Amino acid sequence: MDLQIYQNTCPRNCYGTCSILSYVENNRLVKVTGNKMNEFTKGKLCAKGYSYTDYVYNEQRLKYPIMQSPRRSGNWERISWDRAYSIIANKIIELNKRYNSNLAISYNKYSGNKGLLHYAVEGMFNSFGPHTKPVGSICALTGINATIDSFGELINEIPENMANSKSIVLWGANPAVTNVHQMKFIYDAKQKGAQLVVIDPIFSTTAQKADLYIQINPGTDGMLALGVAKVLLQRNTTLAVDQLHEFTKGAENFINIINSKITLAEVCNITGVNIEAIEELANIYDQFKPVATWNGIGIQRNKFGGENIKIINSLVALTGNLSLENGGVYYCNNDLEQFPLSLYNFPVKKDNNIENCRELNINNFPVEALELTNPPLKFLWVASRNTFTQDRNFNKWRQLLNKLELIVAVDLFMTPTALEADIVLPAASHFEEEDINVGYWHHYLSINEKAIPQFYESKSDLKIARELTAKLNELSPGFSTFPAELTPIDWIEKELSTNVKKSYGIDGLEDLLEGPKRKLKITNTPSRTNSFQFINKAELSYLINNIESHRNKQAGFQFQLLTPQSLLKIHSQFSAVSWLHPNEDRTTVQMNDKVASELNIKYGDVVNVFNENGSIKAFAEPTKFVSRNVVIVDRINTNSINQLIGNSSSKDENQSATFYDCFVSIKK
Amino acid sequence: MNIQLGFIFNAENCIGCKACQIACRNENNTSGNVFWRKVDRVSEQSFLSHSCYHCSSPECFRICPENAFIKRADGIVIIDETRCNGCKLCVDACPYEAPQYDFYTQKVSKCQFCYHRLDAGLEPACVAACTTKSLQFTNLNDFFDPKALEKITGFPDIRITRPSVVFYPVKEKKRYFLNN
Repeated sequence: MDLQIYQNTCPRNCYGTCSILSYVENNRLVKVTGNKMNEFTKGKLCAKGYSYTDYVYNEQRLKYPIMQSPRRSGNWERISWDRAYSIIANKIIELNKRYNSNLAISYNKYSGNKGLLHYAVEGMFNSFGPHTKPVGSICALTGINATIDSFGELINEIPENMANSKSIVLWGANPAVTNVHQMKFIYDAKQKGAQLVVIDPIFSTTAQKADLYIQINPGTDGMLALGVAKVLLQRNTTLAVDQLHEFTKGAENFINIINSKITLAEVCNITGVNIEAIEELANIYDQFKPVATWNGIGIQRNKFGGENIKIINSLVALTGNLSLENGGVYYCNNDLEQFPLSLYNFPVKKDNNIENCRELNINNFPVEALELTNPPLKFLWVASRNTFTQDRNFNKWRQLLNKLELIVAVDLFMTPTALEADIVLPAASHFEEEDINVGYWHHYLSINEKAIPQFYESKSDLKIARELTAKLNELSPGFSTFPAELTPIDWIEKELSTNVKKSYGIDGLEDLLEGPKRKLKITNTPSRTNSFQFINKAELSYLINNIESHRNKQAGFQFQLLTPQSLLKIHSQFSAVSWLHPNEDRTTVQMNDKVASELNIKYGDVVNVFNENGSIKAFAEPTKFVSRNVVIVDRINTNSINQLIGNSSSKDENQSATFYDCFVSIKK
Repeated sequence: MNIQLGFIFNAENCIGCKACQIACRNENNTSGNVFWRKVDRVSEQSFLSHSCYHCSSPECFRICPENAFIKRADGIVIIDETRCNGCKLCVDACPYEAPQYDFYTQKVSKCQFCYHRLDAGLEPACVAACTTKSLQFTNLNDFFDPKALEKITGFPDIRITRPSVVFYPVKEKKRYFLNN
């Protein structure tokens, strides 16, 4: 028996970025475990991580390049890689000749694999010269920019420190489902007497485990934080101005506005939270210090997401919890920033006629792409992305796809998005490629070794970029500047800059092959910052003046639609894994039991969930734990609930997608 | 017998993440319909991670016509699948759904307490996977904690087989729901 152990890293868009040890027998992955050298995960994985052997050898995995003609006919045929590359390269070259530029081609790529070498997609497009480029970010950008507004830079507390806090307040975060490793630090704190507080419209698993749970109307977290501040200011405790450190700016304004413009009656009305709960939360922030405050991704998936976070940060500062050791604020870290990201930042090939890429907001991609002329968009490359489950504006997406001449999707599975493509290329799993991964929550850098041979004919994004650019240059010399000769290891070495090596205390790649390495010094965190800006008057007034009308304007649709992460998937990923999903997925809608009874809806009834964007059928699950004005729908890979989510209220490329500003009706 | 290995389950700390359930499968390669360990929701705030409890008086052991069950000196109950004739008497007799009938092999299999790992000085795979330490194992003959309970809500009768498990129950919580 030939047993070998390799180091891998889970590349999913997740707080964990878990270090994995892969057990390989005769070139086959037989088992995975966590790597104990990562002291954040402490050698454990989540359920999804433990299912990786079923993921890798899944019978639904794509094995060969395939092509369907005509599009959406389902008439798929296996083609060779060389034929796939030829068709794709000829189309790119033809479009270039037709329009005298590459502006007719674009890609839609996101976080299907967060390994740094997967930026090969961006690097490949840059190597063609100016093209149509998606910018912005879908998931967490609103919160990132709000954190930067508060602290001048993106900084985060050290997650392990939560174990020493006296209170832990989670605003719209559900780590029992989305960040299981953090739960041990929370339980360590609880063991020492800390209180766990969860504020969430959803009675999430973490909420069920909390010592104090406060249900709130979605998107009104900032108002609740203002209410807490109001209670404390009314109590005339000594927490306020005199105790604030000199480094903060704008406290006076913040206090004045709360004193003059905020009434607790209004806070109760907008948030739905009663005064007793607000008082209790005020007690926590005032008396059970240090308080660790975690701004969850959930509270920024709406129009006022940035304001919510800046107000909560301001409450933390006002109560003196900001500068306390083991207090502070959590959102996500910025460790990725110090890496050269040589593929992502690969220089755009110079074009004598066109200076820059043509930019599209990724959160409004199909809408903006349809408006493009001279040239229109004609070619789309989709990688690490399943738009027809995850994005919004499906109707616009369909219109866009109808105008495209070639759509290529790279994936491990036949996703709803791949079904819309002309050519589908089989992607390698992270066990079949080399890569390097950085966490956005914990502070580990870890290597991902190639542990097993490629699954049938699957290839990594980097390998595809190398081979496709070589084909392009063969057909049209000089078309691409991509250095096809560089190997994955060459690109990994490029990421290990002098700064990075110093930061992680390593001399080179060999040290990473010993195991994941933690950043030696985390120099700045919210609790150690010397720069804090309270939310300003204009932003505060914007929220106060608009939040009620924003909440009321969706007349005609009765329920706010929330679509949180589920435990055994990352968005649509892992849907095919039978260990996790032995039965076929079905769409369920959780709704308030009394409302259900008024609508004559019983448990298990099939109902229509609909709005102006579409309609889907779902099995009703009435429960007393969902409030009257909310429904919660699980995200299913096929027939995604996202088809009901349309244009966002914000088209700003500095904001993430406002998935929760969506209202629906329900009928039997 | 001075050793009886068993599980300690803390219902307050279990977040229902199912890492134990899938880690068991990752370790033992059980097939599709077979769950040696499983996590179920048992109340609005708690879960139960359950498997074979390696009972002091195992009913499977008593009832099996082929004498396929063995109780080891450390208290672990294992099944010798080569002796199993697939009659499923044990499946019906066990209060804890521990023996699992495998449609592929047409035999019964069950949690073996990862004795191959114990023998190598390792924890069972489920215990090793538990991030909140809500699932642990110990020699119950040496274990005493007045706060630990013999059973919790939703757990079947323990009097007949005396399962090797102790529990810590959920604690009281304070909740403010929106006015409905």
